[in-house]
Amino acid sequence: MPLLEIKDLHAAVGIKEILKGINLSLRAGEVHAIMGPNGSGKSTLAQVLAGRETYTVTRGEVRFNGKELLTLAPEERAAEGLFMAFQYPVEIPGVSTSYFLKAAVNAVRQYRGEPELDAIDFLKLVREKLGLLEMDPNFLSRPVNEGFSGGEKKRNEILQMAVLNPRLGILDETDSGLDIDALKIVAHGVNSLRSPERCILVVTHYQRLLNYIVPDFVHVLREGRIVKSGDKSLALELEARGYGWLDGPAERTEVLSYGF
Amino acid sequence: MIEPTTMISTKAELADRLAAGPSSTPAWLAELRREALDQFRAIGWPNLRQEEWRWTNVAPLTKVAYRIPAPPDLGLPLEEWREQIAPYSLRLRGWRELVFVNGTLIPQLSEWAGPDLRISALSAAVDSQSALIRRHLARGVALAQDGFTALNTAGFQDGAFIHVPAGLQPDRPLHLLFFTPDHPGPVLVQPRNLVVVDAGAKVVLAHSYAGASRQPALTNAVLEMVLGAAAQVELIQLQREAAAAFHVSNTAVQLERQAAFQSLTVNLGGALVRHNLQVRLKQPGGQATLLGLSVQTGRQHVDNHTLLDHASEQCRSSELYKSLLGGRAEGVFKGKILVRSGAQKTDAKQTSRTILLSEDAVMNAQPQLEIYADDVKCTHGSTIGPLDEEQLFYLRCRGISVAAAQRLLTYAFAGDVLNRLRHEGMRQYLETLVRGALKGLSLVEPPVERKPTREEKSTENS
Ligand SMILES: Nc1ncnc2c1ncn2[C@@H]1O[C@H](COP(=O)(O)OP(=O)(O)O)[C@@H](O)[C@H]1O
Ligand SMILES: [Mg+2]
Repeated sequence: MPLLEIKDLHAAVGIKEILKGINLSLRAGEVHAIMGPNGSGKSTLAQVLAGRETYTVTRGEVRFNGKELLTLAPEERAAEGLFMAFQYPVEIPGVSTSYFLKAAVNAVRQYRGEPELDAIDFLKLVREKLGLLEMDPNFLSRPVNEGFSGGEKKRNEILQMAVLNPRLGILDETDSGLDIDALKIVAHGVNSLRSPERCILVVTHYQRLLNYIVPDFVHVLREGRIVKSGDKSLALELEARGYGWLDGPAERTEVLSYGF
Repeated sequence: MIEPTTMISTKAELADRLAAGPSSTPAWLAELRREALDQFRAIGWPNLRQEEWRWTNVAPLTKVAYRIPAPPDLGLPLEEWREQIAPYSLRLRGWRELVFVNGTLIPQLSEWAGPDLRISALSAAVDSQSALIRRHLARGVALAQDGFTALNTAGFQDGAFIHVPAGLQPDRPLHLLFFTPDHPGPVLVQPRNLVVVDAGAKVVLAHSYAGASRQPALTNAVLEMVLGAAAQVELIQLQREAAAAFHVSNTAVQLERQAAFQSLTVNLGGALVRHNLQVRLKQPGGQATLLGLSVQTGRQHVDNHTLLDHASEQCRSSELYKSLLGGRAEGVFKGKILVRSGAQKTDAKQTSRTILLSEDAVMNAQPQLEIYADDVKCTHGSTIGPLDEEQLFYLRCRGISVAAAQRLLTYAFAGDVLNRLRHEGMRQYLETLVRGALKGLSLVEPPVERKPTREEKSTENS
């Protein structure tokens, strides 16, 4: 049974339809990439999966880990093991990163009926993950994302993912704004989170990240539909040829094997 | 001074009663009170047609027949008074404390020992320190400003006189606690404080107002303060009046050369509250920081009016007032910055921020800049809106419930003001109080989609 199964998902803002029938299945252990030009609906898909109320789901269903995802509140989805790394992480002045992380970890633990982490266990956990992402512990005392560079914000997202240990990680343009060194560190962090129980959905505009986080499957999103699916070589083809060649009537495709 | 347990109702009756009371000594004070009384008769209570009062309707407090409470006659055993004031006392935190009950100093409940500061009841000091008091009393607030300052001058019961001699930096901060116990009927309490901080002295002072009255008591307080050259003061005003109470305060501060003043006005109680805080930067190099934090719910109405009077060159002022409004609460902030001609190189910054936690809460925020100098920098900005939708969603995406996310964001919002306090003990104390007050706010659930109104403006003349 897939860990995440999206069937004919339609979503709109007001009367504007953005997602026009998404079908996607992710099995535990897999890494999928969604690529697509700006405005194709990548972030909308990520946000709808996370529970953003701005978007109305007009049709379709999503099952996550055996549950009806769309009936759950965002915090319930998180506690069920869904994690979405924001394309634009939000600044929260006045709340330190460590306070925030601790509140998040313990909220999720509470939902799962696990005991809260005390200060010492929490610090141990966070220190370890900070090391993984080569982040300075000073980071913890700074207000969440406030005054962070673009790269720091993205690392902070992956740090949260590492600390929260989700079943599904959705990374929305985690590569944008990163220089090559930071990109390698972030990719290393993500790769170390790959596991047979977990699946990862990498959303990106460019192929570059996929050199470091090598996906099992690549899907192309265009105008709210997945118009092509393939293996990692599809990403290289997109890099070489752009998205233009995919123009024309949108086709619904199942996962195809592409070999060049 | 004033006849105990006198019933008063209308403005005229109130004036008559005050006039009929035994006259004060010394003669200059009796004369001052008479003059103030004439002022009160002439101008009376403010009304909505006056520009400075258009957002705050004081009619409810003018219709009450107040009793001027008897000087206590403590009635209860001392232990019971101690118990009543314990929730408001800072003595266990190491503060010196003057406790006033119904506006009268109760030495048995107070502790201000120490050879350094000169502290006494104002009523006692008018004889012993006559010259100093005469020089400063009723000089900071204009009697004609509004009926409240005139009424206070005409009929104040008592208050503190504090004189910090030049260069002195007392190690313990001082707390003035004004407590209004429960009375069978409405009471009028009028505290009057005068603080003289000489050159180079440095002091932390708090004045708090608390009550147990279930009747609509009115506290009408005035505090005047002068800071000598390079003096430094941190002043905390904590309004925790009873739920049915009216509270009006007028605070006037004057700064000489290079003096530095910081205030924080915290509002957690009261039904109808108005503060006028005016700070006059009289000489070059003065610095003023005005902070405010109000947590309101129910139908609480809190109005903060501030005036930063840049009367001299090269002074800096910065102002940050924040409100968290739930229920049907109403908030008002009006901040006037006056830059007089000749006050060149003025640097003034004003910010007011409000979070509306309910659809029915209302905030009126209005900056007012009057600038008569050409080489100045003045900025102001104000935001009013619900909790930030993006921030709430971000927190929820990390597993944090709506209620916990709202708490986190409101604490952070308030913490931004409290973290600016210099006195660490006071900061911790207020943090606990404010957290308690925030827990009592009914928060919106689920969050409503509403765009904040944002308005950031700045005026720069260089
Ligand atoms: N909240 C919104 N309100 C209106 N239009 C939106 C909103 N969110 C996304 N859109 C529109 O939906 C389309 C897809 O946007 P988005 O999902 O952000 O694309 P991508 O992430 O692929 O660049 C764009 O045309 C965008 O303008
Ligand atoms: Mg996007």
